[in-house]
Amino acid sequence: MGLAADYARSLLADLGADPGLLANPDSHHPAIAWASSGAMALTGRPDQPPRMCPAPLAACADGVLMALASLADRPLPADLVGSRLLGERAAIAGYGRKGSISPGGSCRFLETGDGWIALNLARGEDWTMVPALVGQDIAQDWEALAEAIRALDTNALRVQGRELGLAIAQHRAPNTPKAWFEVLGTGPATPSRANAAPLVVDLSPLWAGPLCGHLLHLLGARVIKVESTHRPDGARQGPPAFFDLMNAGKPNVALDFKTRDGREQLRALLARADIVIEASRPRALRQLGIAAEALVAEKPGLTWISITGHGRTGDAANWVAFGDDAAVAAGLSTLVSEPGEPPVFCGDAIGDPLAGLHAALVAWQRWRGGAGGLIAIALADVIGHCIGFDPTLSAANATQRSRDWQAILDQSGIAAFPPRARVAGQPARPLGADTAATLAELGIRC
Amino acid sequence: MKVLKLGAKYKSAVCDAQIMVIRTIAEPVDLRCGGVAMLDAGAAAPDGVALDPAFADGALIGKRYVDAGDRIELLCTKGGKGSISLGGDKLPVKQAKALPSSD
Repeated sequence: MGLAADYARSLLADLGADPGLLANPDSHHPAIAWASSGAMALTGRPDQPPRMCPAPLAACADGVLMALASLADRPLPADLVGSRLLGERAAIAGYGRKGSISPGGSCRFLETGDGWIALNLARGEDWTMVPALVGQDIAQDWEALAEAIRALDTNALRVQGRELGLAIAQHRAPNTPKAWFEVLGTGPATPSRANAAPLVVDLSPLWAGPLCGHLLHLLGARVIKVESTHRPDGARQGPPAFFDLMNAGKPNVALDFKTRDGREQLRALLARADIVIEASRPRALRQLGIAAEALVAEKPGLTWISITGHGRTGDAANWVAFGDDAAVAAGLSTLVSEPGEPPVFCGDAIGDPLAGLHAALVAWQRWRGGAGGLIAIALADVIGHCIGFDPTLSAANATQRSRDWQAILDQSGIAAFPPRARVAGQPARPLGADTAATLAELGIRC
Repeated sequence: MKVLKLGAKYKSAVCDAQIMVIRTIAEPVDLRCGGVAMLDAGAAAPDGVALDPAFADGALIGKRYVDAGDRIELLCTKGGKGSISLGGDKLPVKQAKALPSSD
């Protein structure tokens, strides 16, 4: 027994699921799970040893997979290890720890007049918004930006950045944790079901959502990946081995959302789905005339997974976030940074794999149980939930906890493993390769 | 006519729309929404102005509007019924940002 199993049990309890089928393997100490996950090697400064994380993130990742395995109709592949999912992208892309720069390179800590912010300029065009963020025309480079930001107030930057649609977060201690998912609407329930394969429509790009779809695929679901012809999944431009790993086995449908026909085909696909995975801001689909709330209210059992950075209600529904800045917003950077030094990032976009794992668990259970509903998963809340799973951890004792856990690691003789990745069994399908066949098979007009 | 300031917000006098200035020029411009001059974000709405039906195509939150010379770019931060225009010229919507390859 260990923390991972405890976490699995608590997740199943949150879902109202029977923990009776939970296997009870001995799980590693959270410090050892962290070292073997590959995420430890991605945390800290490049010229210093990898850093311990005093929150049990890797053990929690193992716990989610343990819970998922207990609900599965078939055994999950032996090479699928929850905690190792945290390092898979970095393993394939060749990322290492870069201290105050995220392993992927697009997110950086910048010192403000009164603290630190993490700014993630992941999309090339984000740089065009930077003059409006700082209120002056500056050269498009990080040095000029750091200089301009040093004079500005953290809170004003955060407000302005969020209004500009930039992924920005304040370096600050964790808040009181929230629930890891929220049910924002339900429709008619269906009887519970076992040994059935749901039809999943996966509209999500990048990592969290595709990982959710990938895990559902491994559980036996039929997962159709749907992309916009004008704005395909950006991960196609990244390392193919990673895109393949996340998306292999998903037929690919590409639709032109700018045309009436394309939007009609999207609506028809969603009408046939048992589970929808979607990772856009709520207004994006609303502007295409698609209301998740209404679809969920109509179709019995429909399980709509909405993955966002900070939730889909209130102002936060319009905030953009990626995995690295969401972790900062959740307070994670304060737990791995020494007071008085420039903050460091924890893992590689760690909010993504953690959210993808949790999303798969709630999707599978809500569909199998028949309850369905509009399920909101926020990257920052999932990370906060993992941090808060040990209620004795606080900003005040984090440094001591890290030392204690590092000592446990040293005693065990284990050093931080480099990140490792599984290998996709087959390539992902090219953009739109299965559009005609899939639409025809589902009786949707091409 | 006013000189638009980088990062500043302006609001419509006749609907809910609000914009933020992403790119601008040093010369004063005639920024309107719904056919009526836009106001500083903090200003009170004047009486006796109404949405011009010829400028009622709407402004969509999150969309970026660019002038014909590609020198002025405005981000809609609150949607509304009026069209964003410079004088009589309605501003077209710029294509959405491409998704990143990684984050």
